[in-house]
Amino acid sequence: MAISAEAEAIPGILPGKVGVWWFLASEIMLFGGLIASFIVFRLGSGGWHGEAAHLSVPIAAVNTLVLLTSSLTMVQAFATAERGDQRGLRTYLALTILLGLAFLGIKAYEYTSEILAGFTPGTGIFWSFYYTMTGLHALHVLAGAVVNSILLGAGRLRNPHRLELAGLYWHFVDVVWIFLFPLLYLA
Amino acid sequence: MASHGRPNYVAIWGWLVALMIAGLAASFLPGARGLAVVLIFATAVAKALLVALNYMHLKFEPRLIYAIAIVPVLFLLVLTVALFPDFVFSR
Repeated sequence: MAISAEAEAIPGILPGKVGVWWFLASEIMLFGGLIASFIVFRLGSGGWHGEAAHLSVPIAAVNTLVLLTSSLTMVQAFATAERGDQRGLRTYLALTILLGLAFLGIKAYEYTSEILAGFTPGTGIFWSFYYTMTGLHALHVLAGAVVNSILLGAGRLRNPHRLELAGLYWHFVDVVWIFLFPLLYLA
Repeated sequence: MASHGRPNYVAIWGWLVALMIAGLAASFLPGARGLAVVLIFATAVAKALLVALNYMHLKFEPRLIYAIAIVPVLFLLVLTVALFPDFVFSR
């Protein structure tokens, strides 16, 4: 018997949602491994305040605001999709993609200024962690923007839950940044 | 899914921005670093919970989804703390 996308394999949960959460669980361990290593190395080394002081807190704060706002537009895209407002959902989805690209543009500017100042991944352990964690995160933002672009380009969205699943990933990437920002820039 | 009321997404965003500003302000606190660090990460955890519960709709999900989300977080805490004796306490 064919099972439609709307079928509920487990009562009350869409099958796709279990899949995405399962994937996010593996992502938590991926970023978590890096974050755990960062924390123990930092606590074990007596702090990297000197290195972290070279990062630009204002630029990162603006980027945090950009990503938090993109989560709002993403969830609004789903809310409008649920109401059947195709035009509204496309506007919010396009805004989410633009904010994601803005985040990447600002990050690229930040990387450029840091590299020009002589701080490369090989400068020291703090910089290795910084480029690995923010680089991996930026790749995730890029992947999210690609997924959202595919949804936007696919035309009329008949199943709003696709947007909810894409949103789960997008918000997760936001949550990762919520921890990277204080870990690298503030603490 | 559509049967329950949705959270006020814009109000949640307002809280997220307020918490971000609070975290930033905490990083400029004079004196002991410990209090600032606690405040900075408390606001981060609050922001993450707001996003997960409201934007990711976790508060409307059944226990299975919670289990999938919480188990790796617990593993992560164990992983971090288990490394402390080798790296942090041995200094």
